[in-house]
Amino acid sequence: MNDTPTPPDAVRPEIRVEGIGVAPGVAVGPAYLFAAGAYQARPEDMSADDVEAELERFERAVARSERELKKIAVVAHQKLGDNSAGIFDAQKLVLRDSQFYDAVVERVREHGSGAGWAVQTVLAEHRRRLEASPNAALRERAADFLDVQNRVLRNLQQGRAVSRIDPNRVVVAENLTAADILLFSRRGVLGVVLDFGGPTSHVSIMARALGVPAVVSLHGLAEHVQPDDVLVVDGFSGTVIVNPDAETLERAERKAARFDAIAADRDSLRDSPSETGDGHRVGLQANVEFREEFPLLHEYGAEGVGLFRTEMLFLTQGRALDEDQQYEVYRDAVVAAAPHAVTFRLLDLGGDKVLPMSRRESNPFLGWRGLRILLDKPDLLRPQLRAVLRAAAAAPHDAPPKVLLPMVSGIEQVRAFRRTFQAVCADLEAEGLPHRAEVPLGIMVEVPSVALQADLFARNVDFFSIGTNDLTQFTLAVDRGNDLVAGLYRELHPAVLGLVAETVRAAKAVGVPVSVCGEVAADPRVTPLLVGLGVDTLSASPAYLTLVKRVVRAFTMDEAEDLARRALRQPDADAVRRLLEYFLACHNRDLAELLGLDEPDGGLARRIADRMADEPVD
Amino acid sequence: MITRQVTVRNKAGVHTRPASMIVREAARFDAEFFIRKDGYEINGKSIIGVMTLAAEQGATLDLLFEGEDEEAAADALEALFERGFGEPI
Repeated sequence: MNDTPTPPDAVRPEIRVEGIGVAPGVAVGPAYLFAAGAYQARPEDMSADDVEAELERFERAVARSERELKKIAVVAHQKLGDNSAGIFDAQKLVLRDSQFYDAVVERVREHGSGAGWAVQTVLAEHRRRLEASPNAALRERAADFLDVQNRVLRNLQQGRAVSRIDPNRVVVAENLTAADILLFSRRGVLGVVLDFGGPTSHVSIMARALGVPAVVSLHGLAEHVQPDDVLVVDGFSGTVIVNPDAETLERAERKAARFDAIAADRDSLRDSPSETGDGHRVGLQANVEFREEFPLLHEYGAEGVGLFRTEMLFLTQGRALDEDQQYEVYRDAVVAAAPHAVTFRLLDLGGDKVLPMSRRESNPFLGWRGLRILLDKPDLLRPQLRAVLRAAAAAPHDAPPKVLLPMVSGIEQVRAFRRTFQAVCADLEAEGLPHRAEVPLGIMVEVPSVALQADLFARNVDFFSIGTNDLTQFTLAVDRGNDLVAGLYRELHPAVLGLVAETVRAAKAVGVPVSVCGEVAADPRVTPLLVGLGVDTLSASPAYLTLVKRVVRAFTMDEAEDLARRALRQPDADAVRRLLEYFLACHNRDLAELLGLDEPDGGLARRIADRMADEPVD
Repeated sequence: MITRQVTVRNKAGVHTRPASMIVREAARFDAEFFIRKDGYEINGKSIIGVMTLAAEQGATLDLLFEGEDEEAAADALEALFERGFGEPI
């Protein structure tokens, strides 16, 4: 028998995984495996004492779930009618049904299983039975059990020992809630790496707002990481490296240091004017969803809020807020942003958030969304409008809040909205409530029809806000959430840029300001292009504003306009991207390196400069 | 133990809203309550049980009651079905 000695402590190989970078920054540190995950449950071994404690935890989670469902049912009754409300009633009844409750208790007692695991197992059985039915209506009910499961598991998770985490680590998890990441951020976590999620999920938005580098959508990375493995998290490129070798580690640490330096620059940069090298002003505002982000406005030097996504308030509470509750938040926002203004985008909800499951749309993306829902449901629109106009009374006189309409596709919608607006103003006047009626009214430019009719709309509204995310999806007919075609989603596609240019042209002709609030506004590579196209203001998550301002100050308007003209002439998105990267490498070496356009010797920059000199411009 | 036979009268059948109405109505009484359809029997006081029942308009169901107040329970549930759960018939 051959006794081959095993090499001592075999070095674990470097693994590189690509995900989606959702919050900027580079972090290097040991992993912390957050095994609990928001909605996962694993069986646990417990002592008898633990059993009783576990049953108590279960009862508390059920009671909390009951209260939540009761509240939701009330709102559903009012807003959506009895059928939808019936679903929440039924879910509430499930919680106390002996086939659920007693079954879970039995599992915890007899099998020593954790409450979460027991809940999952019991409901999975019921779900399986329904899913196997030939009857479509019954199959749909399986979703109700899943909802109950998620709710109870979520309530079980509260109070979990998240506080156990050590600072200066990179958290690795399947998924996290926004509350988790808030806690982690306070505990000094370096970065976050998740299997699930996308750029617009709640946790990504929070990570961005809090300045915690994050990469999501890694699909199973968590399994390959062991506690204390070293991780490099690149929130720009979306790359995660496990156990970097010496060279990789050195590069990563340099990048992290550079990012820290730029972030530290933040304070001095905050007070510098946001203007190009030749003094052309570029507005920089913040995209905001939550109260927690209000202090970031001043911290990052945002000139007000370019996009307040009001629907997030509803979505995180899991219910509609009434007028007074909304008024409180909007008033706080207006005060926090002073002396600048807040742009309130009215509820941009999809039908899936408002309709009961039995009425799911087959194509929600092209369906009942945004302004369409608001115009059909005055009981959603009016309270919000009233809340905004009342909050306007607290705004600085020369910076009234702005009202932004989501998902506009035709001029008749703007007209219908104005009628409601006038009626609401008349009501507030008659009731003698302090408010302000003269507020600018603008529209999201995200549906191509609006961009193509930009002249008409420019004459009928006070400002435009270009939603490049949806504009790209609609123009290229691509669902960015669809794995099969997500690669076709390119905001730099010349056709999309052309619509942006057209929108700006029409707006400038009548002096209507244009802002861009989609993700490209936060991408320092695209900044010169947007400025060159004539966009007046960029609105992005606060954490990105420092970088964007740095880029703005690094070029002149002439150069930007030249870049824009070239970009519009390119045949495809890749050509545009190369152009932008070259431009950035010329003008801001630090950032170029940070963004992965590594050319420490400046060779790339020189090649670019040469190339741009050669290209003719018509 | 008494049995009543009922027909599902409303258009949408026993979907989630009627299901919760049935369970809530049955909870008002002490009597045990079972629903039988096509030889398949479920506990009518359990929402999970009723949710596994596929009863479309026109379906015939046997309602079984056992207990002190079985008569009152039977009357109440029968009336509920008779009304079509307050939905379009």
